[in-house]
Amino acid sequence: MSSAGTETNLAKPRGGFGRRMVSAFQHMKRDRQLLILFIPCLLFYVIFRYGPLYGLIIAFKDYSVFTGIMESEWVGLKHFEKFFSSPDFWLLFKNTLLLGVYNLIFGFPFPIILAILLNEVRVKWFKKSVQTLSYLPSFLSVVIISSMIIDFLSPNQGIINQLIAALGFEKTYFLIEPSWFRTIYVSSDIWATVGYEAIIYMAAIAGISPSLYEAAKVDGAKRRHMIFKITIPAILPTIIIMFVLKTGSMLRIGYEKVLLLYNPMTYEVADVFSTYVYRKGLLESNYSYGAAVGLFEAVVAMILLLSSNYFSKRLGGSGLW
Amino acid sequence: MVNNKRFSLRNISLFGIINTLILTCLAIITVYPVVYITAVSLSATSEVVQGNITLFPKGFNVDAYAQVLNDDRVPRAYLNTIFYTALGTAINLLLTAVAAYPLARQNFFGRKFFLLAIIMTMFLNPGIIPNYLIVSELGLLDSVWALVLPNAIWTFELLILKSFYENMSESLREAAVVDGASEYRILFQIVLPLSKPALASIGLFYFMGHWNSFFIPLIYLNDANMYPLQVVLRDMLIFSENGSNPSLVDASALAPQAMKNATIVLSMIPVLLIYPFAQKYFAKGVMLGSEKG
Repeated sequence: MSSAGTETNLAKPRGGFGRRMVSAFQHMKRDRQLLILFIPCLLFYVIFRYGPLYGLIIAFKDYSVFTGIMESEWVGLKHFEKFFSSPDFWLLFKNTLLLGVYNLIFGFPFPIILAILLNEVRVKWFKKSVQTLSYLPSFLSVVIISSMIIDFLSPNQGIINQLIAALGFEKTYFLIEPSWFRTIYVSSDIWATVGYEAIIYMAAIAGISPSLYEAAKVDGAKRRHMIFKITIPAILPTIIIMFVLKTGSMLRIGYEKVLLLYNPMTYEVADVFSTYVYRKGLLESNYSYGAAVGLFEAVVAMILLLSSNYFSKRLGGSGLW
Repeated sequence: MVNNKRFSLRNISLFGIINTLILTCLAIITVYPVVYITAVSLSATSEVVQGNITLFPKGFNVDAYAQVLNDDRVPRAYLNTIFYTALGTAINLLLTAVAAYPLARQNFFGRKFFLLAIIMTMFLNPGIIPNYLIVSELGLLDSVWALVLPNAIWTFELLILKSFYENMSESLREAAVVDGASEYRILFQIVLPLSKPALASIGLFYFMGHWNSFFIPLIYLNDANMYPLQVVLRDMLIFSENGSNPSLVDASALAPQAMKNATIVLSMIPVLLIYPFAQKYFAKGVMLGSEKG
């Protein structure tokens, strides 16, 4: 019934604009069923992925709900100037960067260590059980995880403060103490993601030829020799690629968790670009200002992501695609 | 005999013991918070307020559950979450499954251009405000569509499924083409049934995304009657944080912490039920994602 899918040999476009148009039209006609299937996807990306990019022009306007995006007055770089000259700018920049860097540096080794330790387990059921349990936090929502953090650190009932009190030290109000915020954020992130991120390293380890280990055993190698001389060198390419990719997405702070855990007492260390945009832009209805801050963050994040992707490909990795 | 014994003793190395200990600790640390909040939710108020709960419930009772379930806020939020998750996941899966099909065809019209345009969106994230404006200009605020449409396709999952389709054998499709089957029939009757494992993996991620979604409903819904569980939980969390001073808590009232944790346990039940089956697909999904290239 249909010609779609049959491999019609399309005339190769040989010069001439008209001829290329004809050829494109034939191609479209041949693929019309596929194109129909593609319409919802196309609409989705145009409206919800490229549409907001158009909405970004309000960063250069004074947007108000009453005049709409188109009719609002152009103000050039006013909002950017206001942002860059405000003391908030450097604070947000520092907080976002530090949370990202700490999370990367302190969080990065844990999944690798977990994967190596799991690989050394000889009892199968134990290995499987630990691995299965280690994914559990990935199934919990950020609200639940934040709630657990608040409960555990509570100055009155919290188990950690009870432990501190039992050891004879002063109780700490962790969540209103700015010096604790980054530690709490990073360590809870490690807790929540270590099992999930170990999966990739486990797979890399599974790809190592067993004959390497057997040969080493014959030569009388100890376990630590095998770890440092076989396992780690074999998964080093994976480690490097993961590090480059993680550096690229470093600025994507889990702002939902920050939003749930911070309070006016800890804004000075906890406030990041996204939470600031949410508070100043959305809650206080400064849409244009919020969009300008968001645009700045997006550009910085994009540059970082694109360069890490470039390096990952240079290193022989797959990059993000 | 003696030799044998010595051999088995030598097999239990110091490293092995330490390793087992470390991993056991890790497993305990992972599971403990879940056990703890369950214990709090089942304990007497006085014990919770004094912070006596460590592992098991003390003064066992289900008052917190009774209270949470009798108040209409949590049951309504629960039904909302079920509805949003079911509708959202269904739309996600349908759109992703259909969209990946043309993209997987090497000679599809404009394939390179479309793929580039789609991949670019992974790098361009315009941020909270422009996304909010689009949803608001389309009149979707305060409707279920605000939760479902703006993230109807996750690019990463789309690319995963696309490469899954690409790795599928061509011969079945060619046979169907010879029989005169349309693309629609090939997709729905041949490709999709063969893609069940991949669909299960990406479906799991979509499901978890909707079930645990908190920020999107928070900004797109103003009507408290429409709140899903996670937003209600967040309100309880703020309340319990402010009310955690024991002097403020009426001794006869239930500890806000117990009610909050009862709600958390209720919200985790479906997740923990699918967990044993889902974790296989979960690991597979992560691997599909990292192998895609």
